[in-house]
Amino acid sequence: MAVRLKQLESILYRLITAVSGVAEGLAAERRMPAGGLDALVRGDDRLSAQDRVDIYANMYFYRLLDVLKEDFPATLSVLGDDNFHNLATGYLLEYPPTEPSVLYCGRHLAAYLRDHPLTKDAPYLADLAMLERALVEVFHGADAPVLESEQMRALAPEKWPRLKLRTHPAVQLLKLRYRVAALLQAVEEHREWKAADAGIVEVIVWRRNSRVFYRELEKAEERAIASLRKGVSFAKICDLVAADCDTTRDPMAELNRLLARWLSDGILTRSRNIRRAGADDLLRARGYNS
Amino acid sequence: MNRSEFPSLGFGVGLRRQHYSHVLDEHPAVDWFEVISENFMVEGGRALEVLEAVREHYPIAMHGVSMSIGSTDPLNRKYLRQLQDLARRFEPAWISDHLCWTGVGGRNLHDLIPLPYTEEAIRHVSARIRQVQETLERPMLIENVSSYMAFTDSTMTEWEFISAIAEQADCGILLDINNIFVSAFNHRFDANEYIDAVPAERVVQYHLAGHSDHGTYLLDTHDHPIRDEVWALYERAARRFGDVATIIEWDDNIPEFAVLASASERARTIFNKVTSEHDARSRNGRSPQATGKHPVSADHRS
Repeated sequence: MAVRLKQLESILYRLITAVSGVAEGLAAERRMPAGGLDALVRGDDRLSAQDRVDIYANMYFYRLLDVLKEDFPATLSVLGDDNFHNLATGYLLEYPPTEPSVLYCGRHLAAYLRDHPLTKDAPYLADLAMLERALVEVFHGADAPVLESEQMRALAPEKWPRLKLRTHPAVQLLKLRYRVAALLQAVEEHREWKAADAGIVEVIVWRRNSRVFYRELEKAEERAIASLRKGVSFAKICDLVAADCDTTRDPMAELNRLLARWLSDGILTRSRNIRRAGADDLLRARGYNS
Repeated sequence: MNRSEFPSLGFGVGLRRQHYSHVLDEHPAVDWFEVISENFMVEGGRALEVLEAVREHYPIAMHGVSMSIGSTDPLNRKYLRQLQDLARRFEPAWISDHLCWTGVGGRNLHDLIPLPYTEEAIRHVSARIRQVQETLERPMLIENVSSYMAFTDSTMTEWEFISAIAEQADCGILLDINNIFVSAFNHRFDANEYIDAVPAERVVQYHLAGHSDHGTYLLDTHDHPIRDEVWALYERAARRFGDVATIIEWDDNIPEFAVLASASERARTIFNKVTSEHDARSRNGRSPQATGKHPVSADHRS
């Protein structure tokens, strides 16, 4: 009878998740025992067997729709309720939940939106969904002590070059083809939003004091942030910023400005110091030893 | 397993993120909290910070929604490890989940689907509960779900089913009073019979919650105040089972914390009334009605 339990569960799963409802699921079901659904589920004068399975089918879809709406409010704003409903229907068919937590329900939505017909009039939708998903993941991302300005100032200057830094483990870096950050911000602030412009951009998403933030990276910091993702010495960061900053700007001033921003944002954590021969000399040669 | 092995936690509420700030700032006068295990199966962030802080001041229990103990899929070992890790970190008084299945074929419906009440299902589920208890190194509680469908294959009542599983698996029961009421309406059985039948020595915890009325069925939505009929059923349970930890659940249209705390206090008032009546009968030499542990009226805070 354990086999029969397996068959019962499989049939019910298919009926509950049928795209157009239980009636459609019943029509397509090839493994229903003789007597149909009435042979499996008890109906009565109030609710038939199908009515009762329908309750679960509705709960399945609308519960997950609510989760997706909560996780993707900007995507919902762009699409509107009806299109978002249809999007969720197709998405759940292609990516049915597999994890114990509903937190993971929307993790494939950005991928699902790539080349989706709904993006014809809004080609930035997949990037927007990617950014919204990143906010969820960063909120629940791993913990680590944030490197604060005071800690840097407390370090003896001669220790700075070898100081190994990395981005906080909860930080995410997104490479996008559309500038969707402004659209998301407008939705979050309940302002009128406009369609996102095309343009290759990197967006950093991070968490500070239980709030999630995001912004586009400046060109001057892109390589530095990419290196910080893997862990890198402060000396190397100096080199990268100096190489990438605008030629009209003072590299030292740019480094100070960016470092102050990173520390204020709370995107850095301290990794173990590295010992690299010549780092001090390197810095002194470049005038970075203040 | 006997419920005397479990601590007496008193009257509490389900911890929800809408109340995190209030709980941390105000340290409300509830005895304990129940948390949804899956909400804390994350790498880091606010949820875990909050739970650390709550746990410093209150006992907790971990209540899951995705163990899928009745599924014919193999037990999810990764999920059990995550549960074990959370339990080691937060030291819950107990771990519970639902007598149901939530998915099959590696998929999750994120809903609590009932089982047919058959001997074969009893054997299947009991064996899995024993494996889970061995993995978690502790007895667990199984909760009766509210249901909207019943199966033609069933050969017994729901209360006979859960009682048999609790005996064969040697686990505890989390008796959801609202779920009994909802299922009794949906399947036309006598809720009182359910309360009177489950083994008293295995009932470790209650849930109390609201539901919504859809005319032909009741839906366990946890978004309304607890109905008077459910309170009456709770009083019947308190007379039978005595000192059992109680949690107020509210999952949608969540009101301010004071509303949940007030419901928790109403449960305490009912329990204290039942206890006083029991004590009075005992003093008068009349047979006590409670068949479980003697009711105690006390402050249950640790």
